[in-house]
Amino acid sequence: MKIVVAVKVVPDDQDIQVAANRELDYSKAHQIISTYDLNAIEAAAQLAAAHGATVTAVAVGSAAIDDSKLKKNILSRGVDDLVMVADDSCANLDAHATAAALAAKINEIDDVALVLCGDGSADNYAQQVDVQLACALGWPVVNAATNIEATDSTATVKRTLEDEVETVEVSLPAVISVTPDIAIPRIPGMKDILAAGKKPMNMAAAPEVPAETIEVIECLAPEAADRLGNVAEASAEGAIDNFVAALKAAL
Amino acid sequence: MKAFVLAEHTDAARGLCAAARTVADDVTLVAIGDVAVPESCADEVAKIALPEGNAVENAAETVCALADEEAPEVVFAEPTRRLKIVAGRLAAHLGASVITDVTALNDGVAESMYFGGLANRKMKAVGKAVYTMTCANYAEAPASGANAVKEVAWVEPANAVKVVSREPIVKSGIDLTKADVVVSAGRGFAEEEQLDIARALCDKLGAGLGCTRPLTEGVDWLPRETYIGVSGLTISPKVYIAAGVSGQMQHMVGCNTAGTIFAINTDKNAPIFKQCDYGIVGDLKTVLPAITEAL
Ligand SMILES: Cc1cc2nc3c(=O)[nH]c(=O)nc-3n(C[C@H](O)[C@H](O)[C@H](O)COP(=O)(O)OP(=O)(O)OC[C@H]3O[C@@H](n4cnc5c(N)ncnc54)[C@H](O)[C@@H]3O)c2cc1C
Repeated sequence: MKIVVAVKVVPDDQDIQVAANRELDYSKAHQIISTYDLNAIEAAAQLAAAHGATVTAVAVGSAAIDDSKLKKNILSRGVDDLVMVADDSCANLDAHATAAALAAKINEIDDVALVLCGDGSADNYAQQVDVQLACALGWPVVNAATNIEATDSTATVKRTLEDEVETVEVSLPAVISVTPDIAIPRIPGMKDILAAGKKPMNMAAAPEVPAETIEVIECLAPEAADRLGNVAEASAEGAIDNFVAALKAAL
Repeated sequence: MKAFVLAEHTDAARGLCAAARTVADDVTLVAIGDVAVPESCADEVAKIALPEGNAVENAAETVCALADEEAPEVVFAEPTRRLKIVAGRLAAHLGASVITDVTALNDGVAESMYFGGLANRKMKAVGKAVYTMTCANYAEAPASGANAVKEVAWVEPANAVKVVSREPIVKSGIDLTKADVVVSAGRGFAEEEQLDIARALCDKLGAGLGCTRPLTEGVDWLPRETYIGVSGLTISPKVYIAAGVSGQMQHMVGCNTAGTIFAINTDKNAPIFKQCDYGIVGDLKTVLPAITEAL
């Protein structure tokens, strides 16, 4: 049995600068695993360990995601091998195109029982690749999973919705997206990172992707609200009193 | 123009029908399962009865068949987990992508947050438009229509999701959107018991206790419905007091319209200090009790 985990690589938002014209400047930002995909990777690794399965990570993105540190990071988390498409034809794909690209690569892998996705990507957080991918593969989909129990042919999934916890059953293969609390990401050790360098990294050819379905017209940082920024050390004379006085005045 | 509305809750159904009415002269509310349909909100109410044991998402094929028949140009869906799947399947069927969590819609240009609020993005659907959005902007807008009922024939799903059981989530009943003063706890709280010093400050101020997302996930220190930010609550209290909160954008977009923002953090370089009115660089374990005491 094979478990695939779909991993999005994004610029680290801690290092994204806002330019004077309010556009986002990514030039100083490293490529990282989108935060909540770490939890999906961990869930895949734990499921695989429990079922004697293997985990393949699949990532699709621009040429910039071909970063050796990042690839080792993915492979140091209980992932057996990586299939990556790093091509500028796959930069900033919408959910429809991302799903088509992922499906093209997943269809080349034998014996896939499950594809796991994260809760939503750090950039778009649209929570749409799971469902579009299921459509592209012709498989069932379940989102918001907080627990997964799999047999050879079915998965029983606990999903935490807005107002209820629903337990559902689907036949495999299936696409399941997981919430962050399904599994806390491991912190890879030196040994894991060294071993990761020896694992298979398959830089795959870019698949044909469908035309964009969403046109981005503008992407600008909001005007920063004017705040007083009156900050004092707790130990400074009168700091707490001034803070409390301001608090009382604001009530 | 024809619009479809997909909603799980009556308020959302009414609000999104009103939203649809601003762009479409023909509105169909697609009511899956036992949604209570608001009065006079749409031209047509397309009722899809859910056969026993079926997940709501199993209605997606039926919705797609209805879309083939009625050819909507635009679809509005409530941003619930289930409807994100139904809307996603419909979008895939239409060769579209859902534009999610739309905060404003003008002349076919939808606005939505990018990178947790680092930027706002304006987007246009190239073909058919499918949006998810809350009805917050349309609470006052009038919905109208004859609500002509149409019973839609069930289409058996190819990839069914079978419901085994359902258990309601017991909610805390806390509604921070109505609080004038909110104290917000972040990961600077090292253990659950420490929250008591935040609660003591809340008691003194008559404030509500909110938090950052990590305090509701993995650890269950506070109820999920009290976390603030891009994927949680958006609130505008008079006073917001953030303690042990670093000030990541994903959190701040949920509270940055507050009247006055106060922050307590041990790290003088924490981003929150650039986004607050008054800040104390210090340990919340001593600073919060000192504030409570001095009030
Ligand atoms: C797609 C996506 C969506 C997200 N949505 C949300 C959301 O809606 N809401 C949300 O909150 N987060 C959200 N997050 C997470 C967000 O990015 C941050 O990780 C989170 O807000 C950080 O929470 P925090 O400030 O409590 O923790 P941290 O960032 O860990 O900050 C803890 C702070 O406490 C300070 N501190 C430590 N000890 C003390 C002490 N003794 N006294 C005082 N200060 C102390 C530290 O200096 C630090 O600044 C989202 C993330 C992603 C990727």
